[in-house]
Amino acid sequence: MSTDSSKTPKYNRRQWLKGSGTVLGASLLPISISKTASAAKTTATKVETAESIGRFLTPAEYAFVDELAEMIIPADSHSGGAKAAQVVAYVDQMLRESVDESRRTDFREGLRLLDAMIRHQSGKSFVASSPDERAAILTVLSNNISSDLPEARFFREIRQLTIRGYYTSKIGIHDDLDYRGNTMIDEFVGCDDPPEAHKT
Amino acid sequence: MAEPVADLKRTYDAVVIGSGAAGGMACHVLTSRGMKVLLLEAGKKLPIEAEIRSMQWPYDHPRRGQPPADHHALTYPEYNLRTPPYGVGFEKYKHVHSYVGRNDYVKNIVVDERENPYTGTNYAWVRARCLGGKTNIWGKLALRFSDYDFRAKSRDGYGEDWPISYDDLSPYYDKVDLYLGITGVKENLPQIPDSIFQRPTKLNCAEVVLKQSLQKMDVTLTQYRAGVTSDGLKHNKYRSKCFGRGACERHGGCDIHAQFDSPTGLIYPASDTGNLTIRTNAVAREITVDPNTGKASGVHFVDSLTLQDYNVRAKVVIVAASTLESARLLLLSKSHFYPNGIGNSSGHVGHNLCEHVMGGGLVGQAKNLIGKSSTNDDGRPGGFYIARFRNLKTKNPNFIRGYGIEGDAGQGMFPHIVNSSGFGAEFKEEVRNNRGSYISMGAFGEVLARYENYVDLDPQVKDKWGIPALRFHYKFGDNEHRMLADMKQTSREMFEAAGFEVISADERILTEGASIHEVGTARMGSDPKKSVLNQFEQSHDVKNLFVVDGSSFVNSSCNNPTWTIMALCWRSCDYLADEFGKGNL
Repeated sequence: MSTDSSKTPKYNRRQWLKGSGTVLGASLLPISISKTASAAKTTATKVETAESIGRFLTPAEYAFVDELAEMIIPADSHSGGAKAAQVVAYVDQMLRESVDESRRTDFREGLRLLDAMIRHQSGKSFVASSPDERAAILTVLSNNISSDLPEARFFREIRQLTIRGYYTSKIGIHDDLDYRGNTMIDEFVGCDDPPEAHKT
Repeated sequence: MAEPVADLKRTYDAVVIGSGAAGGMACHVLTSRGMKVLLLEAGKKLPIEAEIRSMQWPYDHPRRGQPPADHHALTYPEYNLRTPPYGVGFEKYKHVHSYVGRNDYVKNIVVDERENPYTGTNYAWVRARCLGGKTNIWGKLALRFSDYDFRAKSRDGYGEDWPISYDDLSPYYDKVDLYLGITGVKENLPQIPDSIFQRPTKLNCAEVVLKQSLQKMDVTLTQYRAGVTSDGLKHNKYRSKCFGRGACERHGGCDIHAQFDSPTGLIYPASDTGNLTIRTNAVAREITVDPNTGKASGVHFVDSLTLQDYNVRAKVVIVAASTLESARLLLLSKSHFYPNGIGNSSGHVGHNLCEHVMGGGLVGQAKNLIGKSSTNDDGRPGGFYIARFRNLKTKNPNFIRGYGIEGDAGQGMFPHIVNSSGFGAEFKEEVRNNRGSYISMGAFGEVLARYENYVDLDPQVKDKWGIPALRFHYKFGDNEHRMLADMKQTSREMFEAAGFEVISADERILTEGASIHEVGTARMGSDPKKSVLNQFEQSHDVKNLFVVDGSSFVNSSCNNPTWTIMALCWRSCDYLADEFGKGNL
């Protein structure tokens, strides 16, 4: 099966990576942070826009979740983060398709509560806050994650969705974790084969 | 392959009910002996490769591999708290599946629980209605039973011995190995006799560490003995050799059929003899009886789509509908001759239900593997198996019989995330560094066969086709609970001795039924008062009636049942064909 090496995920990933930065970046342009910082005020009119483009989250909420997911799994020197992996699109889809109406209601309420928390602390909205200010709030949530308060339930939900969305994405599977499986191999790999031999 | 249409006017030599491991094997053996066979399957013939999509990446699936939002797979807590039809909170789901239906690739293979209700004690009953049944998604651990199982009563005094010994079945295990393919390593262990193995998989580094550590405790860890052809099968054009894609480990099923499944392994080759007719969407509701002779005369079935009733006639009736469905069908087949159900003069049909108790689930971490570069650890059909070690040479004071342990180590596609609250750059780096360092395992122990553990027919509840539902009366007993305590403690000791840090330990005993290894509801025996079938899985009461699935088991062993179901079925069908040829049936 050596002829199949050209089809290995690794090769595809390299190809894909070359174009990913621009493509993904472009898709996020219409809802860049600067434009959405004041979007909360115009939520009422934006809801229709969200529905008309088939989303559950309003553009302001979408940008909020995009930033929030990136705080949970950020880009680092090793690989892209939740933003690059478009985790927000996955989150929106899971909420949009859920048969559980309360899941959507709770999520929206969670976003509101989180925004209120950070405003209480820094006087700014989440998207307008600095990374340190955001991290301070998320640390409080993380330290109290088992609470039954809606804030904590929301943090559990967004954290799980982000983990699920990120580690099932191309960036998560291939770039971050360098997963080597799901490919045809001639011989089973084991400990008696030095791992170095399987690097390309 | 043109498929012949069922001819309901003729009398077939044999009708086989169910197309899983047992039904497929019956078709293979009987058609190769020249008998004209009709196979009835309750479910559809699925375009299985399109269902399984073994190598699809999560990001190429519209929901990352998850089923549509209106499908729900039951969880263990839900099984423990509720019984069908599950009630408040479940209305929002269009389909409810057993716990195996967690991914999009199996949602059409497992049944809709609400169309197929059951009552009584809590039980995680996993059913697959489609050609091939559960073999399409089985865990593929292919172990032989031994005289520790067949002669268990002689050793410890509990239950009954089987009417056969290992020497009777050994030649048929060999046939199954050679016809279907199995990968493994010879260990010369009496409690899991060796098969005729093809090319083995390999252990990864953490598994080798555990194996070496266990040797000091006189416990054997061996490569997963998978019902997978690793070298290919020249006699079977429907199956490829294994290419180590690991797909079977991720979501079950194998679209190149290196992993054994009944359709490609047994049924399609049987069709190629010209002696097999397949009727799908045929839900058997009764085995009919000749009013003059009392012999089985055929099967009364309902078309699952049109709801129309049909009768088919056959000289021999072979029940292979799975342990619980077979018992249900025997109990449903009440007549003047057999008021308690056909083949049930002993009163043992539905009784002695047993399976495997699952517990002791453990996750450990090999610290020396943290931060290492990636390895392809899931490019193989399975990890490791630790053979039974209790009550062999010595007696455990707390319980009889034993358990085996399945597990694997290394990196999977989705990372194992132990940190339950972290976030940010540190969290991400931790997940990355730990990705190849975890090892996990869980135990499967023998549940004692007890007459008090049984199923019968619910007097009120019926399934979608109007057929009375099964009612469970089944609970783990003291021996299982004491065994679970040992599973938990010993598993932990094994990890600690190997130098693994125990990261998490599952304290639960999994819900009754979760093993999907149910057997025993029409057990074999030489005494017709205490058993339903003779050593050839032939009814003591009705000589042209055979029950060739796990129903016939006298105990559950702690070894996985599929290979033994097929070896027994091959042996029984050889006998059946001999007797048929002599005109004795």
